[in-house]
Order: sequence, then structure tokens, then C-alpha cells
Amino acid sequence: MMDRTLKSLSLLLSYPTEELQQAMPEIGGVLAAETRLTAAARRDLRPLVSSLQGDDIYDLQERFVMLFDRSRSLSLNLFEHVHGESRDRGGAMVSLVETYRDAGFDPATSELPDHLPVLLEFLALRPLGEGREVLADAAHIFEALKTRLVRRDSAYASVFAALLQLAGVHADSDAVAELLDQPEDDPTDLEALDAVWEESEVLFGPDPNAGCPQVRDMLANMDIPGPAAPATSARTAE
Amino acid sequence: MSHLLDRLNFLQSKELEQFADGHGQVTRENRDWEDTYRNRWRHDKIVRSTHGVNCTGSCSWKIYVKSGIVTWETQQTDYPRTRPDLPNHEPRGCARGASYSWYLYSANRVKNPLVRGALMKVWRRMRKTMTPIEAWTAMQNDPVLRASYVETRGKGGFVRATWDEATEITASANAYTAKTYGPDRVFGFSPIPAMSMVSYAAGSRYLSLLGGTCMSFYDWYCDLPPASPQTWGEQTDVPESADWYNAGFLLLWGSNVPQTRTPDAHFYTEARYRGTKSAVICPDYSEASKFGDIWLAPQQGTDAALSMAMGHVILREFHLDRQAEYFEDYCRKYTDMPMLVKLEEKDGKLVPGRFLRADDFDGKLGEDNNPEWKTIAYDAASGSYLAPNGSVGYRWGEDGDWNLEERSRDKATDLKMSLILEEDHDAIAAVDFPYFGGVATENFVRCDHPDVLTRNIPVKTVKLADGEARVATVFDLFCANYGLDRGLGGDWAAKSFDEDLPYTPKWAEKITGVPADKITAVAREFASNAEKTGGKSMVILGAGLNHWYHMDMNYRGIINMLVMCGCIGQSGGGWSHYVGQEKLRPQTGWQPLAFALDWARPPRHMNSTSAWYAHTDQWRYETLNVDEILSPTAPAGDWDASMIDYNIRAERMGWLPSAPQLKTNPLEVGRLAKKSKKEVAQYVADQLTSGKLEMSCEDPDAPENWPRNLFVWRSNLLGSSGKGHEYFLKHLLGTDNGVMGKDLGEEGRSKPKEAAWHDEAPRGKLDLLVTIDFRMSTTAVYSDVVLPTASWYEKNDLNTSDMHPFIHPLQAAVDPAYESKSDWEIFKAIAKKFSEVAPEILGQETDVVALPILHDTPAEIAQDHVRDWKKGECDLIPGKTAPNYIAVERDYPALYERFTALGPLMDSVGNGGKGISWETKHEVQELRDLNGTKLDGPAKGCAKIETDIDATEVILMLAPETNGEVAVKAWDQLTKATGREHAHLARGQEHVKIRFRDIAAQPRKIISSPTWSGIESEEVCYNAGYTNVHELIPWRTLTGRQQLYQDHLWMRAFGEGFVSYRPPVDLKTITKGVQDDGDSLVLNFITPHQKWGIHSTYSDNLLMLTLNRGGPVVWLSEVDARKAGIEDNDWIEAYNINGALTARAVVSQRMREGTVFMYHAQEKIVNTPGSEKTGLRGGIHNSVTRTVLKPTHMIGGYAQQSYGFNYYGTVGSNRDEFVVVRKMKKVDWLDREATEKEAAE
Repeated sequence: MMDRTLKSLSLLLSYPTEELQQAMPEIGGVLAAETRLTAAARRDLRPLVSSLQGDDIYDLQERFVMLFDRSRSLSLNLFEHVHGESRDRGGAMVSLVETYRDAGFDPATSELPDHLPVLLEFLALRPLGEGREVLADAAHIFEALKTRLVRRDSAYASVFAALLQLAGVHADSDAVAELLDQPEDDPTDLEALDAVWEESEVLFGPDPNAGCPQVRDMLANMDIPGPAAPATSARTAE
Repeated sequence: MSHLLDRLNFLQSKELEQFADGHGQVTRENRDWEDTYRNRWRHDKIVRSTHGVNCTGSCSWKIYVKSGIVTWETQQTDYPRTRPDLPNHEPRGCARGASYSWYLYSANRVKNPLVRGALMKVWRRMRKTMTPIEAWTAMQNDPVLRASYVETRGKGGFVRATWDEATEITASANAYTAKTYGPDRVFGFSPIPAMSMVSYAAGSRYLSLLGGTCMSFYDWYCDLPPASPQTWGEQTDVPESADWYNAGFLLLWGSNVPQTRTPDAHFYTEARYRGTKSAVICPDYSEASKFGDIWLAPQQGTDAALSMAMGHVILREFHLDRQAEYFEDYCRKYTDMPMLVKLEEKDGKLVPGRFLRADDFDGKLGEDNNPEWKTIAYDAASGSYLAPNGSVGYRWGEDGDWNLEERSRDKATDLKMSLILEEDHDAIAAVDFPYFGGVATENFVRCDHPDVLTRNIPVKTVKLADGEARVATVFDLFCANYGLDRGLGGDWAAKSFDEDLPYTPKWAEKITGVPADKITAVAREFASNAEKTGGKSMVILGAGLNHWYHMDMNYRGIINMLVMCGCIGQSGGGWSHYVGQEKLRPQTGWQPLAFALDWARPPRHMNSTSAWYAHTDQWRYETLNVDEILSPTAPAGDWDASMIDYNIRAERMGWLPSAPQLKTNPLEVGRLAKKSKKEVAQYVADQLTSGKLEMSCEDPDAPENWPRNLFVWRSNLLGSSGKGHEYFLKHLLGTDNGVMGKDLGEEGRSKPKEAAWHDEAPRGKLDLLVTIDFRMSTTAVYSDVVLPTASWYEKNDLNTSDMHPFIHPLQAAVDPAYESKSDWEIFKAIAKKFSEVAPEILGQETDVVALPILHDTPAEIAQDHVRDWKKGECDLIPGKTAPNYIAVERDYPALYERFTALGPLMDSVGNGGKGISWETKHEVQELRDLNGTKLDGPAKGCAKIETDIDATEVILMLAPETNGEVAVKAWDQLTKATGREHAHLARGQEHVKIRFRDIAAQPRKIISSPTWSGIESEEVCYNAGYTNVHELIPWRTLTGRQQLYQDHLWMRAFGEGFVSYRPPVDLKTITKGVQDDGDSLVLNFITPHQKWGIHSTYSDNLLMLTLNRGGPVVWLSEVDARKAGIEDNDWIEAYNINGALTARAVVSQRMREGTVFMYHAQEKIVNTPGSEKTGLRGGIHNSVTRTVLKPTHMIGGYAQQSYGFNYYGTVGSNRDEFVVVRKMKKVDWLDREATEKEAAE
């Protein structure tokens, strides 16, 4: 038994093809009938559904590549937003692919395991509760992607709004804020930009006002002027 | 999962058993939570690989793989051990490499083949009714359709394509181009084969089978130091980094070892523990500077003044006032110093002329073979003139005397280096030397010494076939050139270091800002160490010096110091230029694979600098006039021409290659030649002479002569190496650009004489730009087709470096991610598609290939005088006075079968390199046995090269460096020429054959081979020139020795017979028109290598960006910043006539006043706001640069000054550039219309 709503959302986030265009009436029907979504959410999905159904396929594809293949901040690979380029990413992907395997599925795609349409298709095959739990875990990512897509006036934002409703939680606002705290996201706010860019001051040695008491005492002794004291340290020069 | 439910918090079981005296206890609670930690380090396998980036590291890494996913990597530590008393190579690796595995899964990766949407749409529509060739033809014949995708380059708009479609478009374009314009209109650019040789070979093999043009990189990157071929006849050969440890005195000159050679820097540290003294010469307080026992900070661009002064000190104290025995002996045996130079009259005064040659004498001194190429010295033993062994004349056409023994054939010799003694000279003559210190621009110190300095020289008068002549030794001229007084009187000879005369330390202090006493001290210690240790003084020099227009002066000044002190060819000494070539150790095994020499010879090679200069129309904007660089002592001649004119002459005389070659399609020329019943070369010669055929170079803007297709792989041509970036965009690509200058026509300035001028410059010459990369680079953004390639943990390949003597694998730890394929598989797929679509218009064809006069071939002694056939100064003789024209049979339908099989020429012709050749029948048979044979088809019976591993085996089997049997054969061949036994260098390893699986197990040290001038042994480290000095194999120069005097007519005309100090040239890029009112800060624009990326690679990696400032930055000094009201971290704009760039300012005490640094190749794709000057997104570092050619780099047909691919040719210098720097008033990210359709650029 497949959750056709999650499957539909997986398809909406897949690379647009003519086959997808032909299937849009059916997909649109499934989404329109989904009672887990509010009427407003269902209404918000309509422009995307009709655009995918009716727009020129090349325009759709160019748009998709520009948004999801080219823009790092909109990547559909979820771990891009969680782990970025940290070394945890490999391990996280291993866990995810093993989750798929434990449930009896082998990935049969060139996409990585953390690709959102892959995950959504997997969840469509899992019990409702599990799906909701996983979506809830990723809620802050969906919220951030939704916000970024809204800023770009993209109809794709509605998919993430729908995912948030299906998760049934409100994204942790701190986590969302952290994700959205990217310099590119508000290019007109120069002060915020500068804050990100500023280099932190380099301090040599531990801070005498905190940390290791032995060192603090040692540094304090060095501050006392006297014939035995060594040359003034970098810190005391401040 | 917290496991909180399973764990006891408050209770402890009474049933606990204790052991180990209570240190251990047995518990029965659930311990699954520990698995989290255990699993963190789980892996299924560990695979050895490295990072095939443009880097000399070649560091061994362990790649950990779990469930088909790379989870992390650590440094391998199993390099073969070194010998006692020498540190091992580990640890190798750096932060850049360690951040790679995350790059593998980065969102920046190209996931699918991408094609420009506008192109894809038309293509699919046309393909419904047309064949692929018809579709491409129709698209090219419709200007509106063509413009629809050409003009949108760089503006986004990609759609995904299948591999089938993407390769079909590419193959159809290639076939159409070959048929319509000629296969040489298909260009391919890929750099540094050593970093992943099979990947390079994949593309170049495809191109070579097609007849396409392989573009050079080393000269284009300006990392090729032309001074090396000029002096040694060798592209670049250097000591391995372990040999730093053996040095007694290490001079770091413009090289920042800790920052840019991180994995090798430990040898530098260890050398200092051993007691090696180190001096660092660097304008800024670099990371290397703190390693120095002494730090000299010359003004940037004045290095030659510093090295001239040091040379002055060394000559004075070690050669003249006292003759250090080791130095004197070394210079006589291994340099041209004893050779005699004819003094020629110019306007009643004498100037150094050509080397005296056997040909000049009545009876040619008994030399029948190549007498015009045998240089002459005076022999004290017999009191006569004779031709010492080893000059290039002995190399070709005879055997046994091409060596450095102190003999002239059977006669032992004692060559005179100086004629200074009363009894040795006939007269003292006044000789003119050019002096350029007075032509400095306002940004450099200008001296008031005259432009010609007359010095007194001891000369002999000799009776020659055409009358009497005065001759002097190179050594005597050399000392005079350095301005040393030798008691002969005259105005321009210094008796003391304190006189302000050219080339004294006092003089250099004025120009460089370095105190004279420090210059003297460093020079003295450098030489004194060399004298005591037998040459163990070393200079590690950075490419920065080579990026100035007059780079040859910077380099020759340093080379001279090393040669005077006998440091070349001695372990622990020598010239260490570690830039951009990353020694392709198994070169001769790789060449047949890479250039399809197994199927057809010769391939088409092109020097990129000249090609891009012509095809991006930078020549139309040239501001440097020849009279600004011509020597006041130039011999009479027609020197008044523009740079492109010089290049055209060079191509015409067969000095430099051409691409395209002839205006007429070479397949058509082949057909017509056949019809004419003449020999092809003769047919072309007749047609060229009569004007019925034209060379393409004479009219680069004619549509027939445009490059039409361009492949870029393993490179970010537009992003990181496109000097004159904006000109590429404007003319080659035909899209939005930031060129602000006007061309010569618009400015009404004088136009070139030889190049045809079109009032309207073409825009958008390329029909198709294909980029193969694993990430979206700037080049990819501008491409029509982007193909996703495998990264370094996803393919099998080979990697070597000049820094260590090991050959290292890249291995596929995992399958290529997403839809990507290895470069080998990609080009194989294109080849397959080509063979499917091409037969519609192409079959078996005769292609006529133009071949310039190549170094290390018998043809290299083609032109002892400069004569231009087009001016009627000689006949057009192919291969002698012009390029050779050679018929090559192509079989286009069989291209794929040929691509995947080792062709028959290896059996019938054999293999070779650097002037020697050997047969390879045995190796070819072994490859058949190893890789299997093709069972049928056009390559039936040939060894297969299906996979990338098959390809590595071809390289390893054919190369002397990895197959001991071949090494012995190769040394035996060299023995024929030198008459000396050399095979002992490889005999011990005759039965060593390194296979791919061997190096997968452990990197292997290569086997000594005559391809290189150093050896692998247990006694010494690899060091260049070793076999020249210790095996008496001549350098591959005119004199056969390290050549410090360059006597080619053009070298003399441009004042570079001897080294001198030449200030940076004036590129006139800051004009009144472009400089805004109130912008007064003008700085020298320098682009060194960075710490946070390797060229462009990694500089868009978040980790690396975080370590740096997260976007483009420039460094400037506190003083300059204050002048323009700039504070640290301000956005600044730098501009000149070529374009503008935006970046953050890093204001630092490290910087020297007057310069601005922008690290090489930071990318446009990262955090770049719009420029106020151009209104477009701020450019990259190359936006403000433009290529300027130098005529002396075009010389050919003249022994070591003959063309070789990535060996000699014009180089793309960029350091002489100045920019206006100002604070930006308002930062505009050009994101107003941040809609889905907006382009990234």
C-alpha cells in the first residue's frame, strides 16, 4: 500500500519530463483529495501542478536545473543542509542507505540516498507514523527551503509547505534561523553580510580571565613589572 | 535513540564479577549504545588514491568506503623508505586534500550531462526529421538559430540531457567541422597530464585520431620558464624535494614552500635541523620568510637586478680576484664559457655576434658533418682552434662524439676560458652591451645610465674563410656584461662593490631596495658553501618570477649564479622550479597512448598562448610596441612589426606550430595533392609560394580560420587560466563581456603588417564549447554542453610529480556518483558516437598535417640563419625553411576501434623520446597477452585498450621508467650517440616491470631513464643535470653545454644575448579615459598561489572558504590602504582598461607598498557582487589581464630554441599589470531580479 500523496510530492520534486507532464492531472487529483493538507495548502499546490502540466518543458527543465542542480542553498540532497561538507556526511549517507536496505529496498538510482524525492518515495512505502517522524526530523530544512523558494517567487515552495503539514510539527525556529543565516539570502542587508565575513580576533594563549587557573596565575605574574619578567607578551600589549 | 531505557542509572547488580585486580568488571546490561562509536569507524574497504588536482603533491591517501559510499580519508604512510641519514617522505598531504571526500558529494557537482536549453530544444526538434549531421548542419547554417544559444552563453539555461544525446551533439559537431572547415578546427585544452595521465590521454587520443588540435598548457599558464630550454635544452628538470635536505645553502627566491608545497615543506624544516643555512627572497613577509636565516625583500619585478648584483659579487670574489678551483673546472667542462663569439660591427662599433663555428673556417676545420652547428673554442694544449665534442653538430648525422669528454674527436683538449693574459689576446676591444635600466616606468626606479655601455674585452684575431675576425670567449664577455673591472680600463667596469655602476650591489640597492651589504653577504655565502661542498647550494624559485614579461632575465640571473658555482647536476644543489609541469615521469610510454602515435604520426600540437592571442583577438588591442623592447644594439633588420606579425613570421618559417594550419580544409588539400600526383609536401610548398594556399595565421578573423569546436577537460580555462578573460567572452564565445578598451582600428593606431585586419571583429567564433568536469566551474557555466566526469576516487589512473620519484595510482574506490563517467569512458563514448554519425560525410581521408621544426629531432638544426621564404630570402623547403607538410591517413568510421586498440605503428616504427628511439615489438606483444586482442574489425589483432586500467598498462609497459627492459634498451640507444656506456644505470632493474596493481599496493620508485637528466639510486636523490655532469651526456643545446650566451639573431636583436636587468614593461592599461577622477591608488597586480585552494580547485569549497574569508579577497599594504581610505574587509574594486574585479580588502603589514595580491583563481561563482565600473558581476583575476607575446619565445629551428609541445613557445605573462584600486561606494549583488530564470553570472 503506497502513500500516494508522498509519492506525488516525490514526483513534483523530480526532474520534469514529458512523462511527468502527462501524469500531472492524476498527480494533481491525488493532491487535491488529500485531507491531511489544509484547503489552503492544496490551493497553493495548484500553480505548480498546472505549471508542470502546461509550461514549455524546456522552461521547466531550465528552471529545475537552475534551482535544484545549481543552487547550493536549494539542494534537494538533505544532508547538504545538515552536514554540508563535513566528514559526517558520508557516515550519515551510509546509515540512510542501510535504512532503505533493512526495509527491503535497494536504491536503483544514480541519485544519492539523501536526495529528497528518493526519501519521499521510500517513506511512501512505510507506515504513516514512521513517515511523519522522519519528515518531522527534517522540518527545519523544509522550512528553510520553503522560505528561500518564496523569496525567489518559486511555485516549488508549496511542496515544502505541504511536507511541513504532513510532518505535523512546527519547525524548530532556532534550527531554521541557523539554516537561513546565509549571506546570500539577504543580499541587501550589508551589515549582516559583514558580520559573517568578519575575521575573529586571533588571541595567543588562553584568556587570563577564564580557563586554566595555573596559566592565569602565570600570566598575572608576568604582568608584574620587574627585572625578572620576560618581554611584554602579546596579550599585555592590548 | 538514547538507550536510557536500557541502562541502569541508580542500581548496580550484585552479580558482578571483577577481574584484573578490580580494574575490569563483567556487566550484564545492554551495551548496544556503544555500537554508535564502533560504527562510526566501520568500513568495508580501504582504497589507495590521490587527488589529481593541479598540484605537485601526488600524496598517498587511504580512502575508506562503507556501503559504496566514501566516508573519510586519512594519509597513507607507506612510501618506500629512503636510505639511512635521509628523512622519509611522509607525512604527505595537506588540508586541501583532506577536505576532498566532502567535495565528492558536494552540491556543486555536475550530476547529469547538461546542454544549453535553447540548443537542446532546436536539436530535438530537428532530430525528429533529420540525421544528426543534417541537424547540426542546419543549425550552423541558420544565423538566428546559432545565435540563440551562442549569445546566451554564461547566462544559465541548462537542461539535462542523456549521454546519448550529449555525445551525439558533440560528435556531429566534430564531424561537421572536420568536413566543412577541417579537423584542425576542433581544439582541445587540458593541462598537466601528470596529475591524471589517462584522463588527459582520453581526450588527446580522441582529438589526435580525429586530426584535432591539442593545446599546450605549461607555456599558457606562464609556468614554463623559457630560460630553461634556452640554457639547458630541457623543458624543466628539477631536484626532488628530498634533495633539499642535502643542500648546504638553500635560497628560496619568490617561492612560498610552506604555503604552496605543504607536503614537501618538512624537508625544508629538516634541512635546517641538519644545519643548512637558508635565505629567503620575497617582496612580502610570506610564510616562507620566517624560515629564513635572512630575509631580503626586493621590490617586486626587480629580481634580475638582485641576481645580477649577486653574480657580480660571485664573479669578483670566486672567479676573478681568486679562482675557485672547483668553479673554474666546472665552468670549463660544463658551460659554454670557453666557446668563442664573433664580434660584429654595428655603426662602427663592436657587439657580440654569433658563436664562432667550424663552418667559418677555411676548410671547416675538417668537419664535414654539420660544420655550421659545431662551436669553436681555443685549445691551450695544441694552441689551435677546434670544435670540442658535444655541440649539436655532433648529435645528428654521426655517432660517438656527442659527449662532454674533454676532447675534440680523438684529441684531448685544454680549453681556454679567458684570454685575459697578455700572451693570450691580440688586442683589447671596446664592445657594446645594451642597458635597459633607464626605460623603467614611473612605478620603478629609473637609472640615468646610458642605454649602451661600452666595455673593454680581450680579443683574438682569427683568419676565417671570409677574412679576419675578432673573437672573444663567452667568459670574458660574460664578466664584462656583469660590469666587472679587469684592469682593462673603460667607463662601465666597477672596481668596487660600492660604485653606482650597473650590476654592483650598490646599484642593485637603489633598484631593489635591498641593502648592498646584505646582497653581498648572501652572494658570498651562497658561493662559499658551493665551493666547500662541491656545488651543494640550491635555489628554490617560485613561478612568480616567471610571470613577468621579462621572466627570462629573472631566471637567467639565478641560473647564472648556480652555474658559476657549479651547482647544477650536483645532489643538494641546483635549480628548483616546481611549477605547473608536475613531471610526467613515464612520458615516453604515455605519448603513444595520448597522441595516438600508434595509429598516425604526427599529431597536431599547438602552443596555446599564440593561439588564444590570435583567436580571442587580444592582438587587436595590443599596446606594446616592438621599439619598447628592441635592443639599442640590435643588428640591422626589419624589426618594425607588431607582436602578431612576429608570430606569423615564426609560423611561416616553421618555428612555431599553427592552428588552424591552412585556410583550406586540410582534407581538401590532401585530395588535391593526390590529384596533382606531386608529393604532398612539394604540392603544399608550390601552392603556398604561388599564393593559392594561405596559412591561417595570416588572417585569424576570417571565418574559415576560426576554431569551431573546443573541448575543455580537467581544466577551468575560463575561470582560472584565461588571460584576457573578457576577450575570450567577447570574441571567442560571443557573449556579454567587460572589455573596456578600444581596438587598434577604433583608436586609429598603426595596424599589424602581416595580419589581415577586419574592421568588424568577429564575435562568437566557437560553434560548440564542451566542458567535462565534476563540478560547475566558470568554464562549465559558459559551455554549450557540460559532461559530468568521475572524480579522483571514482576512476583508475596514474599520477606522478616532480617532488618525489614515485609513481602513484588513482583508484575507483566507488562508482562515479550520479550520472558521471570517467574521462576515459566519456571520450570512448564520444568516439563511438562519432564512428556512428560520421560515415555520412567522412570516410577514409588524407589529412595534411603541418609540422613545425621540432626540438630533439634531426630537423632542429634547420636554420643557422634567419631567412623568410615569403620575403624571397630563400626557397620554401618544407621542414627546413618552413613547416613540413605530412600526409596522414585517417579512417573516420574506424575511429572508435582505433581508440580502443594499440595500433600497428608501435610494432613497425617503435617508440622513443628526446632524440632517441627504440623498437617495442616485445612490449607490444606483452600488452596483447596482458590486455587481450581485438578479434575482428579494423583493429583486428591489436592489443585492447578498453578500460582505464588497460590504458595504464600501456603506459607502464612502454615507458622506460616503469619497465626495466625498456630502460636498458633506451640507454643503449643513447650510448650510440655519446660513445659512452650508460646502461649500468638501469641494468640492476632490467627485470623490474611495474604494473597498475603493484602501485595500488604501494607507490613505486621509477627506474632511471635517459628521458630525464637525474637518476634513481641509493647514493643520491633525483637531481636534474646529474647525468650531464656525471655521465658526460651533453645538454641538448647548440653548444652541448649549459649555455649562458644566446646567439640567435632575434635574441641579440632583443638584447638578450646575455642576461641583464629589464624593468617591467608598460602595458598602458590605465588610461585617462578609464581612470575615474579621484581614483589615485595605482598598484602592481600580482596573482600568487593561495593556501585555501589549489588553483581554482577547492576555492569554492566551504571548508576552505571558511578558513579564508569566504569569497574573493585582495591583499594590500597598510600604507596603500590608508591612501585610498580603505579599511580591512572593505569591498574594493580594481580596474584597468581590460576589465574590473571586486573583492574584499585584506590590509596587512605583510604586504609591500605598491602591490596588490589577488590569489590565483578565486572563482566568479562564489560571493561576487557587481562591479560599479562595468555594471556586470565582478570579474575574476584574469579580468584585468591580457596576454602579451615576446618575440624571443617564438624562435625556432635553432637547436634548443626549437619548438616542442609545452617545451618552448610564447608564454602568457601577467605580472607587469597595474590596476587602479578604490573602495566601493555601494555593494550591489545584482540580485534584484532573483527569479528562477536568472543566470548565475
